[in-house]
Amino acid sequence: MSLVARNALIALFITIALAGTVAYAINYLNSARVAELSTIEEQLSIDSLSLETQFSLLESAPCDSNASSVTLTTELADFGNRLLYAENQLGSGNSQVVRLKERYSLLEIRDYLITKRLSEACGTKPITVLYFYSNEGDCNDCDKAGYALSYLRDTYPALRVYSFDYNLDLGALKTFIAVTKVKDTFPAFIINDKHFYGFTSLADLEKQFPKGALSTTTPKL
Amino acid sequence: MSLEMLAYPFLFIALFFESFVLVTLLSKPARSARGRSHSTKIPSIAVIVPCWNEVLTVADTASSLLMLDYPADKLEIILVDDGSTDATREEMSRFAEHPQVRIIHKENGGKHTALNAGIAVTDAELVGCLDADSFAEPDALREIVSCFDNPRVAAATAAMSVHKPKNILQHMQNAEYAFGITLRHAFASVGGIYVTPGPFSFYRRDVLNELGGFRYGHQTEDMEMALRIRRAGYGIENAPRARVYTNTPATITSLIKQRTRWISGFLRNVLGEYRCLIGSRRHEALGALVLPIALLSIASGILLFMLMLFLFARNAIAAIEVRSGIPLSYSLLPHGAIDWFYLPANFYLLIAVVVLLASLALITIGKRISKATGNIALGLVSYTLLYGLIVPFWLIRATSDVALGKRRGWRN
Repeated sequence: MSLVARNALIALFITIALAGTVAYAINYLNSARVAELSTIEEQLSIDSLSLETQFSLLESAPCDSNASSVTLTTELADFGNRLLYAENQLGSGNSQVVRLKERYSLLEIRDYLITKRLSEACGTKPITVLYFYSNEGDCNDCDKAGYALSYLRDTYPALRVYSFDYNLDLGALKTFIAVTKVKDTFPAFIINDKHFYGFTSLADLEKQFPKGALSTTTPKL
Repeated sequence: MSLEMLAYPFLFIALFFESFVLVTLLSKPARSARGRSHSTKIPSIAVIVPCWNEVLTVADTASSLLMLDYPADKLEIILVDDGSTDATREEMSRFAEHPQVRIIHKENGGKHTALNAGIAVTDAELVGCLDADSFAEPDALREIVSCFDNPRVAAATAAMSVHKPKNILQHMQNAEYAFGITLRHAFASVGGIYVTPGPFSFYRRDVLNELGGFRYGHQTEDMEMALRIRRAGYGIENAPRARVYTNTPATITSLIKQRTRWISGFLRNVLGEYRCLIGSRRHEALGALVLPIALLSIASGILLFMLMLFLFARNAIAAIEVRSGIPLSYSLLPHGAIDWFYLPANFYLLIAVVVLLASLALITIGKRISKATGNIALGLVSYTLLYGLIVPFWLIRATSDVALGKRRGWRN
């Protein structure tokens, strides 16, 4: 074999090895991301269950307890952001992503229900937004709506935003959709039980909030 | 299929090419070339300096040649004034009385005619060329002469660096030239050289005469001559420690003009008269690897740039759309935690990083092999930041010139 052919062959092996190493590193990183998400999800499950248990234990005076779902909601938001990033990296069809999205949706529904029970028991009026989007190409404005909600959530910390993939094949979510009577017109919002469909601008979205709801002071929960 | 996947074959080829160069550098022929000692032979040599309006640099160039470590009775300097319209003639006359210097004045006819005029008046065994904006180190000629110990070697090239780089663009070119030193050194060991650059390349005079002297060569007479030498079955060697420094364009416009000339000359020569070399089994490394990859790199440079531009525009438009109506105080700032989780690593990006790192390694190797003076650190930084953004402009310009049959002047 000539020197050129030999060197070319070695170079080919090196190239394949390098490309393989890069592919392995990417795969490893994505696996680590999924593992991280699973860990967060497990912790959130415990936190959520703990909150529910605290609420049950102190049923007679729930408002006197330290039980607060504010922290949980913040952690949920962080989990949602990470999940969105992982979905972009791995694809929305990835089985692990789908499984984590299902768990995330369940946690959101649980947190929403806890918040509702606490507000009824304590007489507070938290502002909650249920946001339904679709990833199936039938929602041109979902990215804009998602970003606008992120802005509102970051600007008004008291705002509780729960986002759901409308098409996720999850029994609890389907029931939640049926109970809330939200239609499959996207993006769909339920702001404090008031339905609102479509997204044109941040200003229009803000008009759907109760007067004084969008203030930077955190209301007592 | 994502658009990024279009880039994969090109990145894979770039990685393969860099791996090939690294492996070749470690092969025995390249190691032997690096360990080559000075030849005991002292052939007669003529160095031709073709000049056209080089009043600012010709004296320094001639002086650097007179300081070469080589027996004076064996070294002749031929200054050829190719019809200059500035004071080059007067500047040259300062050397008129020097016994080693011969001065020729002729009507302007292009660089190849100036070289041929010099060849015509000498009977030296080796004939070299030094552009009038370049300067050789004293021991450079000794290094070059060693390459001609092999009788099949018809030409030898030096190790070019940028002469006192002043701005970021020249530092970038200095890094690029160091890359070139590595490539030429590796290619020489497997018979892959296809250009004998103007600064300090040498030829056997009898081979030049046999092949008919220099031609216009689509404004790249050095490349055309090298290709002709290779087609005739002769070898081209490289002396990686024959250091020569050359002035380079200081502005983007002049750099793009120079490179447009080089690339269009390459395309016209290789796709024209020397197409037979592509894929030629007789010219193994040159035909099977170097020329095809050089052609492919031009195509990939353009395609990757277009792809990058398209993806950037698409993402920018999407980002602007999503952020419309949101206060700038929020939308212009990054959000989210600084966390390894959000590391934007994908296959495309990581392979591109590996290709870049390999390029930087080859640049550093070139600097070490040649032992050229100066610091390469700024060159590495500017090469990383600028090179990929500027190169596509001359690639596109040169390719469109060739496709449309457009001819430009030497300095247009």
